[in-house]
Amino acid sequence: MHLDDRALAERIEESRDLHADSMHETKAALDELVEVGQESRDTRDPEEDARVARDTGRRLTAGATSGGVLAAAGLGAALAAFVSSPAFADQTTDVQMLQTAASLENLAVATYDTALTLPFIGGSDALPVVKAFVTTTKGQHADHAKAFNAAATALGGKAQNAPDPALLAVVNKAKPTLTGPAPVVALAIQLEDGAAQTYVAYTGALEDTNARQVTASIMGVEAQHVAVLRAVQALVAAGHPEYIMLPPPAAQLPAAAGSVGFPDAFYKTDMARPATEGAVK
Amino acid sequence: MRFPRRDAQRTEPIAISEADLDAMTADLDEMHHASMPALRDAVDELKQLHADVRATAGGLSNTLANRRQFLLGSGVVLGGLALAACSSSSKSSSPTTSPPTTATGGSGKLTGDLAIVALAAGLENLAVGTYQAGIDAATAGKLGAVPPAVVTFAKTAQTHHKAHASAWNGVLKAAGERPVTGVDTTVKTGVVDPAFAKVTDVGGLAKLALELEDVAAATYLGGIGAIESNAGIKTAASIQPVEMQHAAILNFVLGQYPVPDAFAQTAGARSTSDMIG
Repeated sequence: MHLDDRALAERIEESRDLHADSMHETKAALDELVEVGQESRDTRDPEEDARVARDTGRRLTAGATSGGVLAAAGLGAALAAFVSSPAFADQTTDVQMLQTAASLENLAVATYDTALTLPFIGGSDALPVVKAFVTTTKGQHADHAKAFNAAATALGGKAQNAPDPALLAVVNKAKPTLTGPAPVVALAIQLEDGAAQTYVAYTGALEDTNARQVTASIMGVEAQHVAVLRAVQALVAAGHPEYIMLPPPAAQLPAAAGSVGFPDAFYKTDMARPATEGAVK
Repeated sequence: MRFPRRDAQRTEPIAISEADLDAMTADLDEMHHASMPALRDAVDELKQLHADVRATAGGLSNTLANRRQFLLGSGVVLGGLALAACSSSSKSSSPTTSPPTTATGGSGKLTGDLAIVALAAGLENLAVGTYQAGIDAATAGKLGAVPPAVVTFAKTAQTHHKAHASAWNGVLKAAGERPVTGVDTTVKTGVVDPAFAKVTDVGGLAKLALELEDVAAATYLGGIGAIESNAGIKTAASIQPVEMQHAAILNFVLGQYPVPDAFAQTAGARSTSDMIG
């Protein structure tokens, strides 16, 4: 294939530099969050927490509808009920959302780890650009998990180091079907889009401004993963995985490839995960 | 199924019919329209909350620091959008600080959330106009050979930006304000016009489009930290990821890594001190 490995390596190096810079900025936000969280713990009012939980639940449910690819995993079903769940009565809804977000990231890391064991993703049969994307994306999700957990602990919650249990079942069920690039990409799109939609919904629901800003800084990155994966999916479906390269042979791409990555003018939230789904009990 | 290794000489046409492509495009269009009701709900909520915000104006919130920073432009780095045309202005010595203002330049004396809404509308209108200029240049043969996928990208992205502008203008109209029909002239005259004059091919246009998409995404991320209305935050949150998706595909087309940052940046975000007209 026509892949300039040196150029790719340089770009990945540049990406790492940018990533390091962004981590530095995120750390500053998280430091601020730690301070705010300590103040919050010192002044927490149970009645106020209950009010916030009610308000947050209303905001989350306002835009949620059932259905979608992940509906079988209970998507949205628990949105209306989660605020009254006694299992989570001792932590704020913000913490629950951050823990669930961390659980989604943990699942993404584990799933990409599994994908990298497949010969056509991480082995000798893999396209280098695909392997590089999966490896880099996995690292970004690991950073997201750290950021969400730092935000959760800053607000007095526990870190969530386990994967989202509902979606883990979906991934485990899908594993035997991962016999080629197409099902792997389809599964990755489901997870990435589910995460992006969840964070869009949480951004509109989180009370704590710094937790909201951390979440908002991640949602678009997951959306970018979705866009790239959708483009890859379209090229695989069209029988031209050889076009998956940097840059792609633009003149040879079908016209529809120009828009397949971003189908909606406004990012949806109907696949958002319930706040309690990945929360620490 | 496995990824076959790429055959360097392989040039046969893609195994997909025009009908399939039309169907895919129609599906995309349908999905786009399906997303509109949720937006309308959010806008309706924003309209209602706007009235509440006005009624309780003066109250401080814990977003005050971010809000002041965004509204005044202090600490907002202009990033890649170096405003060459403004080099002789008061901003020249320090592009990271903007003169304090609570109004957008061309849309009256809007303050607070509405000033941010007007800024967003002005940036969206600028994106619409820039894509149109690119499409016109391509149609006139000024950019050389233009791949069909690039045309589709430009038209689809332009449609998205029109929808975004329409959403923000709906908020302004509901608040009794005039919709923003102009563009962010600070960015247009300082960046877009000089850059577009130098565009001679698709790559040059893609770089300019990428710059605009990055600025829009950064502005929305900054806006999320500054907007007080929950409905406004929701609307910005529903748009920011889409701008980032546009940027990812543009990076991809340019041969750059499509997801360069693990965390979205506010570097390059515009502030409400920009002139809209």
